[in-house]
Amino acid sequence: MNSGPVARLDNMTKKNGAAGSRKNNRGQTLVVPGEDLGDSEGFEAGHGVMSISGRLKAVKQGRLKEKGRSISVEPTHTRYIPRPGDLVIGYIEGCTNNIWFIELGAPFNAILPMSLGPGKIDFGGTRSVMDIGEAVLCRIQEVEETHSSVVTMKGMGLRKIRSGVIEEIDPHLLGRLIGKGGETLRRLKTETDCRIVVADNGRMWIDGELDGILDVRNRLSAISGDSNGGTN
Amino acid sequence: MGGYGDMQMIDENGLRVDGRSPGDIREITIETGVIPVADGSCRMTWGTNEAIVAVYGPMEAHPRKIQRQDRAVLDVAYNMAPFSTTDRMRPGFNRRSREISKVTKDALESVVLLELYPRSKIRVTIEIVSAEAGTRCVGLTAASVALADAGIPMTDLVVSVASGKINDVVVCDLNKEEDNYGEADLPMGILPNSGELVFLQMDGNLSQEEFKEAWQYNMDAAQVVHEMMVEALKRGDSQ
Amino acid sequence: MTIPIVPKLLRAHLSELSGKNARIDGRSQWEGRKLEVEHSVLPRAEGSARVRMGDTIVLAGVKFQLMQPYPDRPNQGGLMCSADVRPIAGRHWEAGPPSPEAIELGRVVDRGIRESGCIDVDSLCIIPGEKAWQVILDLFAVSDDGNLFDAFALAGIVALRNATLPAERFEVGKDYPLPVSKTPIMCSYHKVGGRFVYDACAREELGGDERIHITLGDDDNVHSLQKGLKGIFSTEEFTEIMTNAQGRTKELRKIVDSL
Repeated sequence: MNSGPVARLDNMTKKNGAAGSRKNNRGQTLVVPGEDLGDSEGFEAGHGVMSISGRLKAVKQGRLKEKGRSISVEPTHTRYIPRPGDLVIGYIEGCTNNIWFIELGAPFNAILPMSLGPGKIDFGGTRSVMDIGEAVLCRIQEVEETHSSVVTMKGMGLRKIRSGVIEEIDPHLLGRLIGKGGETLRRLKTETDCRIVVADNGRMWIDGELDGILDVRNRLSAISGDSNGGTN
Repeated sequence: MGGYGDMQMIDENGLRVDGRSPGDIREITIETGVIPVADGSCRMTWGTNEAIVAVYGPMEAHPRKIQRQDRAVLDVAYNMAPFSTTDRMRPGFNRRSREISKVTKDALESVVLLELYPRSKIRVTIEIVSAEAGTRCVGLTAASVALADAGIPMTDLVVSVASGKINDVVVCDLNKEEDNYGEADLPMGILPNSGELVFLQMDGNLSQEEFKEAWQYNMDAAQVVHEMMVEALKRGDSQ
Repeated sequence: MTIPIVPKLLRAHLSELSGKNARIDGRSQWEGRKLEVEHSVLPRAEGSARVRMGDTIVLAGVKFQLMQPYPDRPNQGGLMCSADVRPIAGRHWEAGPPSPEAIELGRVVDRGIRESGCIDVDSLCIIPGEKAWQVILDLFAVSDDGNLFDAFALAGIVALRNATLPAERFEVGKDYPLPVSKTPIMCSYHKVGGRFVYDACAREELGGDERIHITLGDDDNVHSLQKGLKGIFSTEEFTEIMTNAQGRTKELRKIVDSL
C-alpha cells in the first residue's frame, strides 16, 4: 500500500498505545486505527489488523479479539462484504431487458441475470416479473473484482418477498441475534409467532401478524441498543 | 499572510493575545456519532472553530466514470457554512474550498486502505459551522476521526495542526489574529504513530531554524491532540 | 438529491399499521418525536439555534448585512431566508446546485416567517434611502431523518428571536436585540398508509404520499400553506389537521418562549 510519507524527522517519537488501552463495559480492550498491538512473532493478523515491520497494528476501530494465534478487531459498525454462497436480501434498484440491479447494502450492487431469475421470462419482461422497489431473497453466486457480483434465485427457498417487513441490523450483531446453535433466533420465532429469515447482509425478513412483527422489532432494538450497534 | 509584525501580539511576559504561551494549543473538544443517519461522524471544536464531518460508505460509486476497478475512491468535500464567519460567506462555488477539499482528499487517501473496497466510493463531507483560523486542520483531523467511527480501515489517524510566526516568535496553533497579521503559517497533517506526514502547506517567511521550530511544535501538538482523539473514539465505543 | 427506491413492502406495511392506528416507530397519529431546542450555539452568527426532532438535526444562523434600500421603499430593510441541504445530511442528498426539494424547503419556510410579519422590515431602516439592515437567515441540515420542514421552521424562528443587531461592528450605534413581534410555527402532516400523521420520520416519508405544511401565528392566524407531492386530500382531512395544528403550534410556541 502506498502511504506516501512526505518527510520524517530524526527525533520522532514512537507512541505505544496512545491513551492506553481502555476497556468497554464487557471488559474488552478497545483499539483505534494505528494502534500498536505488539510483536507479530508467532501471531497472525486477523480482520482489522495488519502486520508491518514485525509489529501488529490495528487498522480499524473496535474491540480487540484474541483467538488462538489470531489477533483481530471486531468493529462497532461493519459494512457487509459479499461472499459466494451468502444468503442475502436485496432491493431491486433498476433493470434492463434481461438484468436486474440489486442493492445489497454492500459497497457495490449486484446483478441478477434473467437466466438466474425466477422461472421463465421473455426478454424485455423483467419489470413485469419483479419491479423496482421489490425485495428478493437470493444467494451470491460469484464475486469478482473485474465485474459486478452476481446473485441467483435458483435454489431452495429463494424467492421474491411478497409480504411482511424487512429490518436491518449491523452485520456484526448477527451472531448475537442467532445465538448458540440458533437458540436465540428459535426462541424469537416461537415467542412472537413470526416467520423470520436472517440473511448474511444484516437484513431479515419477518412475516406474521402485525403484533408479532412489532414485537420482533422491539426486541431487535434491544439487541442493537444494548451493544450500541444501531440500526440503519 | 497580512502585515509583517506591526501588530503587537506577544506581550512582555511572552503571552499571546488569548493568554497562551508560544507552545500552547487552543481548547479542543471531540465527539463521535453525532449524525445519527451517517455511517460515521465527528464533531470537533478547536478554539472557536467547529467542524462537523459525516462519512457515508463504502457504497456504490456513482457516477460510473469516477469508479476505479482497483480501489475505492474518496469523495471529499470541504465547505464553510454561510454563518461560519463574521462576514457572511455566500454559498456556492468557492476556489479555496475546492483546493482544501482536494488536499484533504490527498491526505486521507494516503491512510485509508482503499484497495479493500474496489469499485466503491466513500463520501466524506466536512462542514465548518464556525471558523477561526486553521479550519483546514480541524476539518482533516475531524475527518479521520469520522472515518474511524465509520469502521473504515486506516493505517493511522491523521492529526493536522498549523504553527507559524508572530512578532518574530515561532508559535504553535495560530488563532485568527495571528493567522491574519503574523509572518508565517505552516499547516501539517501528521500520522501520530510514526511521525510521517500526509499533508503539508506553508506560506510566509521563516528562516531554516524557525522552520524547524514550527515543525517540531506541530509534531508535539499532534501527540497531544492524538490522545484526545483516541479518548473520544474509545469513549464513544465503550458505552 | 437522488430519489431513493421505495421498497414496495414498506407501503403495504404502513397501510397495515395505519389501519390498526399504529406507526412504524411506535408513536400515535399526532405525536411528535423527541424534541431538543437550543439557541445561541454558533459563535460567529448574530443569532442561532439547533433543533433536534428524533434523529433529524438542523442548525439555523442569522447574519446581518448593511444594504441600500430599494428606491421605491427607502425606509425598508430586507429579510432573506436560504435553506441548504448538503450531502452531510444524508446518503440521498447530492452535491451541486440546490435540488427542487431543497428549494421548496427554503421557500416554504421563508413564506411562513415572512408572511407572519414577525420581522418588521420598516424597523430595519438606519438612514432612509441610504442604509438599512438586511437580515439573512441560513438554514442548514446536519442529519435528515424526515420532516426537515418543521425542524427548519422552528430553528429559524428561535434563531431570529435570539438575534442581536451588530450595530457596534458596523459603527451605526449600540447593539440591540432584533425586534421580532410574533412567533410563527410550522406543523407538517404527511399522508402515510392512507391517513395524515404529524412529524413523519424518514421511513414514513419514503413510503408515504402527499404532505401539507401549515404555519400559524400567535393568534392562530394562518400565514402560509403548502401541499407537496402527489396525492389527493379532502376538506375533512384538512380540517382535522388544521385543528391539530392549532394545538401543536401553541405547545411549540410555549417552548420557544421558555428558552
